[in-house]
Amino acid sequence: MRPYGLLRAGFPYLKTIGEFMRMHFPTDVAPARDGRLYVIGKGSMYTKGKSGPILVTNIEDDNLGSFGWKSYEESVADACFMWPMAIQLDVEQRELYISDSATHRISGFTTDGEYLGRWGEHGSGEGQLDRPSGLAIDGEDLLYVVDSMNHRVQKYTKDGRYISHFGEFGDGPGQFNAPWGITIDEEGTIYVADWRNDRIQLFSPDGEFIRMFGTSGHEDGELYRPSGVAVDMHGDIYVCDWGNNRVQLFAPDGHFVQKFVGDATMSRANLERMFTRTAKLRRMRETAAYEPEKYFARPRSVRVDEHGHMYVPDYEHYRIQIYKKEAYVMDEAGMTPPFRVPTLNYM
Amino acid sequence: MATATADLDLYAHLMRRAGFGARLDELEVLASRPYVDVVEDLLHPERFPDVDIDMIERFYSTGNAGYGPIWWSRMFNSRRQLEEKMTLFWHHIFATGQSKSAHNPSAQAQINMFRQLGMTDLRTLLVELSKDPAMIFWLDNNENLKDEPNENYGRELLELFSMGVGNYTEEDVKAAAYAFTGWTLETPIPGAGSKYGGYHSKFVYVEEEHDHSDKEFLGETGDWDGYDIVDIIVKQPATARFIARHMYNYFVADEPPVSGWNEIPPKDSEAINALMEAYLGSDGDIRSMLRVLFNSEFFKEARYMRVKTPTELVTAVVKLTGEHQEIEIGMSRVTGASGSMGQSLMNPLTVEGWPFGAGWIDGGTLNERVNFAVDELNDSDKPAVRFIIDRLKEIGHPSSPAEFVGECVQMVRPAPLSKESILGLLNYAEQGQDLDLSDDSKREINEFRVLRMLQLIVATREYQLN
Repeated sequence: MRPYGLLRAGFPYLKTIGEFMRMHFPTDVAPARDGRLYVIGKGSMYTKGKSGPILVTNIEDDNLGSFGWKSYEESVADACFMWPMAIQLDVEQRELYISDSATHRISGFTTDGEYLGRWGEHGSGEGQLDRPSGLAIDGEDLLYVVDSMNHRVQKYTKDGRYISHFGEFGDGPGQFNAPWGITIDEEGTIYVADWRNDRIQLFSPDGEFIRMFGTSGHEDGELYRPSGVAVDMHGDIYVCDWGNNRVQLFAPDGHFVQKFVGDATMSRANLERMFTRTAKLRRMRETAAYEPEKYFARPRSVRVDEHGHMYVPDYEHYRIQIYKKEAYVMDEAGMTPPFRVPTLNYM
Repeated sequence: MATATADLDLYAHLMRRAGFGARLDELEVLASRPYVDVVEDLLHPERFPDVDIDMIERFYSTGNAGYGPIWWSRMFNSRRQLEEKMTLFWHHIFATGQSKSAHNPSAQAQINMFRQLGMTDLRTLLVELSKDPAMIFWLDNNENLKDEPNENYGRELLELFSMGVGNYTEEDVKAAAYAFTGWTLETPIPGAGSKYGGYHSKFVYVEEEHDHSDKEFLGETGDWDGYDIVDIIVKQPATARFIARHMYNYFVADEPPVSGWNEIPPKDSEAINALMEAYLGSDGDIRSMLRVLFNSEFFKEARYMRVKTPTELVTAVVKLTGEHQEIEIGMSRVTGASGSMGQSLMNPLTVEGWPFGAGWIDGGTLNERVNFAVDELNDSDKPAVRFIIDRLKEIGHPSSPAEFVGECVQMVRPAPLSKESILGLLNYAEQGQDLDLSDDSKREINEFRVLRMLQLIVATREYQLN
């Protein structure tokens, strides 16, 4: 249930995890209720004794293993990925699903790393896929796949049985142009990052268009090629604004609240490297201007958890930046009804 | 479309040299316009939209760690073909290896600079080159200090980038080195990904390390800095001649290696003089030189007088198949192939760049070249192969073996075939009945025969020429 009102206290940067070779071109992250973070990347995630494109870690940046395989060949074997785009936990949080834009496949694993299988074939017919990207799961454990180059969203059972789809190519309401990210809130509303149309569209659980927001541009509240979208427990909407190298936060009604451009500090792995590697590296770092280091570089998605954390896979800098929301829920006693007109009088 | 074959040949020649080749249907559209207008379009890339860089980066980008797929995709698909050809031209002359620094952001920024400034004046290019972090590090100008000068950049600027040996003295090299003291780079933040590098560097001028004494350079004396040195260089006739020869070598016909240019005269002195005049009459404007070059008779007549560089071979083959027009996997196969043929872009063997002409070909690289071309033409459903088959189908009647060969050769447009090559192709064409693509009952076998014929054509010696 959405709060009557929200007192926003701030949204500070918390920490950076990954970096160095631990995390390689992360494209998406699935935060689990048990605190584990499942990160999928376009490169390999180096962990002790194994490197695969799916990294298991947590907010402490612990190294909890990796699984899957990175493929550089054109014939991609089972459990291998070439251009993985999204990772999604199922309702029970026992299984993970991963989309691969190169192979037009969806692959499944248990959260312990056991390969469950794959499905999906290239094409434009019902159930076929063309560059699948964003993934979301609804309350009935059905999987929504953003079928990017078919400009639609398709719904499947987890084992790949096609159920339905919505959307077509275009720039009108309910139409898409190369959509990318997707999320579903607790009320079942579906949010789609309509990448080339520079907007977010909202749909009912059965795929009926509800509304949209966002226009092309680089100013606050404007979007340029949004790649990811998330909704938190308050109904706030987070948009990964890929082309503008930022994440923007919108209130449930779509009005702009604030933006995040990156505040990274060194991750645990990077700090360890600094202490164990050459003195030259430390001198280089000491000599450099740090300003560029903190910013996002082509972030590809945004995810939130029930504790108010926001996770931003910072693709080109091999890391995830984490922020923590500080907000207080207000009931009717704590806040006036919504204004019909703006006011300057706060007394 | 009824366009004279002679006209198509000319436009095909232009597009092979000023670009990376064109399909028959593209040539027919171009040939419906005056040649000079097509040249002007090539000289003005801003008249055409850029590639869909957002889409390319969405799928191909590995950030600062990899630029190859993005550059290759531009070469295959950009409507600004001469812009890409000039990017490669400057990369050949100002050859910079990223292997030394392993700092990809700087290497990529340099290529982007060539793309942006490739058809501007030489002064602008040389100034930006002198301030380019990748170049500064490649030739050690970051170690060029007033009390401890390093002559590497000053020497190569004169020898390889602007004038050529024999046109300056050792004293000029020293003076140039002193003038560029203090021209250095900002240490970037060490990369988040170790050797892959993550953050850009930039040019910085350190006044305390700059030598302010008077220097005599190419006969002029003063407290010269890098800008002054470039100013003096670009007005030298030797510079005009050096750039003219490079342009001739790249666009017209293979010349001897650069190191011999001081002793070996150009193949076509009149052509070089015409290009020099264009340079000297326009304050070193590269676009003006190119305009003279492409409209000249010496260019129009120089068909197939160059060996395809590996990059040209790969792009020609990919254009022939029509692959990679859209986002698709397999780009690493393409970039790897060029490397196997001896040209790994952004990683020249030395500052002297790559060999040209016959130097590209030895037993090993010829194998790579032929195998790549044949392997890529392995599927009649590849888009441009399908276009060829459909065009041949439009003929609407069976083709005799000679017609079959001629029609396929017209599509690939290798250099005029030797008698031996023609006989080889005819030998294959004669194995079976006349080719009849309108006969659906034999579609599969006939399409295979076309595919096989295309493979045989790209395997000829004549296909190696541009």
